[in-house]
Amino acid sequence: MKIRLNKTVAAVASSALVLLAVPASGIAGASTMMAKPTYVIGYEGPLSGGNAQLGINMKWGVQLAIANANASGKLPFNLQAAWYDDQGSGTLSPAQAQSAVANNKLVAMVGPAFSGATRAAEPFYANAGIATVSPSATAAALATGISNNNFMRVVYGDDVQGAADAKFLVKTHGASSVLTIDDGSFYGAGLAQVVNTAAKADGATVTSNSLPQTSNCGGVASSTEYTSAATQIAAANPKAVFYGGYYCDLGLLLGALSQTSYSGIIMSGDGSESSSLISGTTPASAANGVWLSAAGGGSSAFTGKLETQFKAISHGVKSSTALYSTQAYDAANMIITSMSKIKWSKSLELNRIAIKDQLHMTTYKGVTGTLKFQSNGNLAGSGAGQVNFYQVVSGVITAKGHN
Amino acid sequence: MSGFFSYFTSHFATLGHEFWPLLVGGLATGFIYSMVAIGYTMVYGVLRLINFAHSEVFMSGGFASFFLTKWLVGSGTPSAWQSVLYVVLGVMVGGLAGAAIAALVERVAYRPLRRRKAPKLAYLISAIGASYFLFNLAAKEFGRINFAMSPPFVNHALFQFANAPVEMLDVITLVVGLLMLFGLDRLVSKSKLGRSIRAVAQDAETASLMGVNIDRTIAVTFLLGGFLGGAAGYLFGLKFGVVYTMGFTPALKAFTAAVLGGIGNLRGALIGGLLLGVVESLSVAFVNGAYIDVVSFGVLVLVLLVRPTGILGESLGRAA
Repeated sequence: MKIRLNKTVAAVASSALVLLAVPASGIAGASTMMAKPTYVIGYEGPLSGGNAQLGINMKWGVQLAIANANASGKLPFNLQAAWYDDQGSGTLSPAQAQSAVANNKLVAMVGPAFSGATRAAEPFYANAGIATVSPSATAAALATGISNNNFMRVVYGDDVQGAADAKFLVKTHGASSVLTIDDGSFYGAGLAQVVNTAAKADGATVTSNSLPQTSNCGGVASSTEYTSAATQIAAANPKAVFYGGYYCDLGLLLGALSQTSYSGIIMSGDGSESSSLISGTTPASAANGVWLSAAGGGSSAFTGKLETQFKAISHGVKSSTALYSTQAYDAANMIITSMSKIKWSKSLELNRIAIKDQLHMTTYKGVTGTLKFQSNGNLAGSGAGQVNFYQVVSGVITAKGHN
Repeated sequence: MSGFFSYFTSHFATLGHEFWPLLVGGLATGFIYSMVAIGYTMVYGVLRLINFAHSEVFMSGGFASFFLTKWLVGSGTPSAWQSVLYVVLGVMVGGLAGAAIAALVERVAYRPLRRRKAPKLAYLISAIGASYFLFNLAAKEFGRINFAMSPPFVNHALFQFANAPVEMLDVITLVVGLLMLFGLDRLVSKSKLGRSIRAVAQDAETASLMGVNIDRTIAVTFLLGGFLGGAAGYLFGLKFGVVYTMGFTPALKAFTAAVLGGIGNLRGALIGGLLLGVVESLSVAFVNGAYIDVVSFGVLVLVLLVRPTGILGESLGRAA
């Protein structure tokens, strides 16, 4: 009986402790939650598909920015990231944008990453008042073709990049004849067109061709198109070939060109600036000598502690080889800075709009330079017009200065 | 009008200069189309159905041979005899993987429906379902990027044909394609197994009454078509790499080639594939690359307008 009584007392005491403990921790949790609400910064870009590496680079940059912001303890809110994989496709991006808009904690977006995906997704973000700060959508028309002021980017447009590339080919390397090829994408066709026009203005004879993205790289055209295209390029033998498109298809074109006698200059823009260009080219040596450009503005690499932190996230990949990781980091930090300056309300929509408006007033000194947006979302930073050049040397993308 | 005339004269001049290299490239592509088209045409021959999962048979062959080649070659440089051995192994493993997947598709997506005497539309949806299942599974398991395949040989030009350099990979594609297509043609036209296939293609019910095992014959038809499709996946992968979506467009082209040559007709598939490959290749000299498919499918429509059953007609039995 005594034993039974003791057991009963123990059970009652334990239950009481549990009952006391639950509200106590609940209250403590609630007080923390009230003190620090959680907001979500989304990222939309290709996290899978033929051109995923560029998108993954940017994801790492966003992860780093959010981790550091949370670790600083200075912000009146906690941050979470949400990932929206559009595979770089304008067909898939609207669904991803709608999913982001429906996230009731999401207040701003880094991205979309690719220009075609951006064009297709922007109406959804614009309707919801969500600011989109792209680390890499460079198509010139994005800043001029969208009336709503929610689109911003921390890179220069292809009007800057294409003109610099044309000058690099025609003036620096003396290419008197240039063939521009585009992949039929919004980004690739736009960039190739800028190079086409600028190269003509610089005095070169320019011809153009279009080779749509293939089913090996997320498109629908047959990869066999490169075999005959390479034959034609070799026969025409232009002094330089400029490819407007992404690294996956460029790798296939380079492989086909390596089987011909063509020995002129080959150049492409930021969409091809990825180490996956080399690993995706057969033979890999066919990528050697190819020139690449990126209108990233200032520095394209982290240093010191930031680089160490970045490599912990990227599993050892250096930021200097992860194009747009620093731009994504700066884009996320511009959003975080703006978030820290607004007056928060209970309305999700008003908060989203306030962040968007604040971004237009924010000047931020980031890794890539001092960043401020023009009213159309284009960058007006201190490194205006800087385009960095790279060349594949012995299988490694090597920085070769800027314009 | 003069502008129109000068456009074509200038492009004919371009074509004259590039004709032989474009022809060689087109023939190499055409052999790949033909090998895939065989799979479509054989299944159509015996079942009067289009196997829409054949694109994933092609993809499976590409991936199997990719992993084999990666394991065999690594970062080393094979000797001459190793190169020959590795290519043969690549073709065999690609072919066997294609055959295995084709047999699986037949067993899972076709046979149960056939036993239930399902309507034709059910087979179509079942095959499309199998196709989506397989390529999404490949994407999940292997990743969604294009993997470059290091060839187990140096792909240099072996000789000149007219003014066209003919490379090692072109020669391998032509030799493998010819051997397989010739071997299959002989098998179907001369062997007992071939007689069974032709009998089922002509009249399955009568063939069954004459002692032909219908299930077995259909399964073997899938296996044979799958072997050629898988081997074609290897040859395609050597040039363009492998990725989970690699089958989509080449298979669509191969299906076009099968219809062009006469669906259900083995030699028609060969002729249709070669014709499509060459037309595609030569059209680059005339039009912007973006219009290649417009030209190719324009030719298909024109041919079908003149010969609605394709170049050689429909029957597997008659042509073989």
